[in-house]
Amino acid sequence: MTFLSTLALAVAVLVVAPYLAHRLRRRRAEEQPFPPARLVEPSAPKARRRSRLEDRALFATRAAAVLLLALLGATPFVRCSRLSLQRSGGASVAMAIVVDDSMSMRAAAGRTSRFERARDGARELLTSAREGDAVALVLAGAPPRVALAPTSDLGAAKRAIETLSESDRATDLDGALALARSLVASLPQIDRRIVVLSDLADGRPDAPPLGEGSPVPVWVALPELRVAVSDCALMTADRSGGRVRVQVACGPGGTAAGRDVVVEDAGGVVLGRTTLAAGAEVQATVALSSDTVPVVARLLGGDAIAADDVAPVLPEAGRGALAVVADATEEAVATGGAPIVEQALSALKLEVDLRPIPAFPDRVEDLGGDLGVLLDDPPGLTPEQRHVLGTFLEGGGVVLVALGPHAAAAPLGASFEPLLDRATSWGDTSSMGADPASATGELVESARSLADIGASRRATLAPEDVASVEPIVRWTDGAPLVARRAMGRGEAWLVTLPFSVEASDITLRPAFLALLDTWVRAARQRAAPKRSDVGTPWRFPGAHVVDAQGPAGPVAATQDDAVVKLVPPRIGVYRIGVDGKTEVRIAAPDARELDMRPRAAASSTSGSGMGEQRARVDASGEVALALLAVVAAEMAMRAWSRRLRNAEVV
Amino acid sequence: MSPQATGPIRRAIDWGKLAPLRLRARQVAEGAYAGMHRSARRGAGVEFGGYREYVPGDDLRWLDRRSLLRHERLIVRQFETETDRALCLVVDASASMSFRGSRAPGAKLAYAAVVGAALARIALGSGDPVSLTFLGGGAHTTSVPRSVGHEQFERVVAALEAAEPGGDAHLDTGMLEQGLQTLARAARRGAIVVLLSDLIDLPPGAAERVAAIASQGRVLVVVQTLDPDEIDFPFTGNVRLRGLEGGAVVETDADTARERYIAAMQDLTRTWREAVVRRTGRFVQASSDGDPVDVVRAVVEGIR
Repeated sequence: MTFLSTLALAVAVLVVAPYLAHRLRRRRAEEQPFPPARLVEPSAPKARRRSRLEDRALFATRAAAVLLLALLGATPFVRCSRLSLQRSGGASVAMAIVVDDSMSMRAAAGRTSRFERARDGARELLTSAREGDAVALVLAGAPPRVALAPTSDLGAAKRAIETLSESDRATDLDGALALARSLVASLPQIDRRIVVLSDLADGRPDAPPLGEGSPVPVWVALPELRVAVSDCALMTADRSGGRVRVQVACGPGGTAAGRDVVVEDAGGVVLGRTTLAAGAEVQATVALSSDTVPVVARLLGGDAIAADDVAPVLPEAGRGALAVVADATEEAVATGGAPIVEQALSALKLEVDLRPIPAFPDRVEDLGGDLGVLLDDPPGLTPEQRHVLGTFLEGGGVVLVALGPHAAAAPLGASFEPLLDRATSWGDTSSMGADPASATGELVESARSLADIGASRRATLAPEDVASVEPIVRWTDGAPLVARRAMGRGEAWLVTLPFSVEASDITLRPAFLALLDTWVRAARQRAAPKRSDVGTPWRFPGAHVVDAQGPAGPVAATQDDAVVKLVPPRIGVYRIGVDGKTEVRIAAPDARELDMRPRAAASSTSGSGMGEQRARVDASGEVALALLAVVAAEMAMRAWSRRLRNAEVV
Repeated sequence: MSPQATGPIRRAIDWGKLAPLRLRARQVAEGAYAGMHRSARRGAGVEFGGYREYVPGDDLRWLDRRSLLRHERLIVRQFETETDRALCLVVDASASMSFRGSRAPGAKLAYAAVVGAALARIALGSGDPVSLTFLGGGAHTTSVPRSVGHEQFERVVAALEAAEPGGDAHLDTGMLEQGLQTLARAARRGAIVVLLSDLIDLPPGAAERVAAIASQGRVLVVVQTLDPDEIDFPFTGNVRLRGLEGGAVVETDADTARERYIAAMQDLTRTWREAVVRRTGRFVQASSDGDPVDVVRAVVEGIR
């Protein structure tokens, strides 16, 4: 402490001055003789009461003013828990702040949440930044995102920090670090660093230490956040008849044994209750006491994160189905049994139900639960069937059509509109197989097995139709063997060979299984999943206008490769409008976030030379503000007292 | 503050504008005296003087049996007496009588002395004997035995001038007792007893005991002598009041306490008035800023 500071603090001794003045000012009423004093009733005189209150308040404010004045003169530095940057040689700094907004950050950290503490830390870092420094903000909730591109506008950075909010996403620290590195790599500042504000609970406690070998120095700040706690989450709640089946998962060391799960309706009335058994993952069934529609299930009893103890109740989700239209008499293998395409789908173990149907339906509702429809060499489609096909495709359905002799010999009035505008033909081919080099997408690796495909005849598309499709694999003469055409939100896949072994051996090639697998995956991706992990993108191919309302308000949709994408940031129900149609989706907790054991951090991430957590802060500004407030209070008090006296005189 | 501490300021009467007593007493007496007055005392004698209602203490020999039989009322016969009318002056010289407010010309004791001296002059002028007794008082306060003549007036005036206020009637209950016993011995049947006191700080039951003097043919006149400040409580704001007897110190807001004080003082006055009147006595209230002539005249009227 300097001599001047000591001298300034010595002024604090003057605090007795207001006290002495106060004592001198206080006067008791002068005593005077009055014989019948016994007849006078004593009372606490109003004037004395007011004087007492007023004087004490004035005394307190004046004493506080003197103390603050002395403190201000001492120019105090307060050492407090506050993040601040250190800079070598006073050079400007390029800093990427990685803020973890995953679900584990919603656990408590003292009086507030870990996320709030991390956000405070980001504010504190910005406070110690100065002109010339560049700041970028990266969010570590999966998938990692750039909240603020590198900028030297510190005001914009502060505003960006204020817009950050908690989410229930999983954690992707490695992805966030890679993103942060890429952001600061191109900045002109020589001193670059990444500051991680996270609890390091990314579900991979045994992963390599964070920041190890990073070309950009990493400072993992706020070590107080790295505390392992236990948490349990209500993962799913599916209704089936008069019961609701719930699934509860707990992180390492946690158990939900003995805790109750209740199911409530929209008004909060409890419809059923059950007590959970021991185990890291517990399934339980809650019997409903009435026919009222259950809306939400709650896991009672407290744990680290309350947000994941609530789950919306859904009707039990099915696995999805594929409708297969194939001619069993022509396509059955010699050993008998189902058509070969059905056997191939079963062999892939795609966890979908196969629904063989004799003909393509002519009612829209008949395809209500199907992910996709496979048609093997259909003899054209009637007008009713074409309407159903168009509606199915517009709604996001996926169709695979194998064209063969029956398709080419479609009767009058039967066609493949809207898939193909022209009729197909079935004829001899001089081509000896597919061109593996023409393969795209996921058929690139398996297309080699189609090089010597054994087919003497093939279907040929009209040139107008060839121009409207996207070939995936071509014949050696350039004609499409497998092609794809987007239609509405759906997609139509075309194969110019039927799946009958009589026509070709394509079904015996590995590429055939790869084709089916890719097609089913596309069908699943387009089918609206009713529940997925929070943070997993929802894609809406072909959709133009998508708006969503989530548990925390509207969620903005983004475009990714001309596909509208939406990422649910919080657990709960989302009502999504897709081109005017409304659908409901559920975002469920990510089980990885239940493991709240912190991941190790490299020894080089302790922040030595980059920053410190206990900073010396000049408190003069705050003290001056307090002094100003005290002086204003004293003036107001005196004005109020004077007005009161004037009122009494009147 | 203890009574001893206030001693020095009570050593002498604050006469103010009431001095000199001798001159003021003569003026008052002349103002109040209207020619020769005849002895109006009624009691034992030979010349019939009328009837009146029986009051406890009356001599049963003068009970009119015929009126009792005819009207079923206790009536006593009165006779004009030929004996002298002794005037027994009882002056309260306790500490509270030393009080002089801002508006009074002198202390209450000075005012009482003027009234007492004037009454003595009137009585002596009529040939009636006069005695003087004090309640309380300092070391130089001495009573004057019953006597007549011009010298007696001088003795009474000298005693009143020499009186020193002192004593605490509230704490010293024997003060009133002693005074009453002295009075009982001095006041014979038919005597006129005039008590000049503020009636403050007297012990409980004092009113009844004093009113009992009015028995056995004695006439009692109580002159309550108050300072004007004691009547209307003119203080404002925060005041700290110290009683001169009993050591009471009261701090109060005068504006809010005034109404209750005046009510308490009226209660005290009413208690005394009822006690005295019930015994056929007279009660006169005097303010020390008032004209003593009116007080003397009211006393004389009360005696008649």
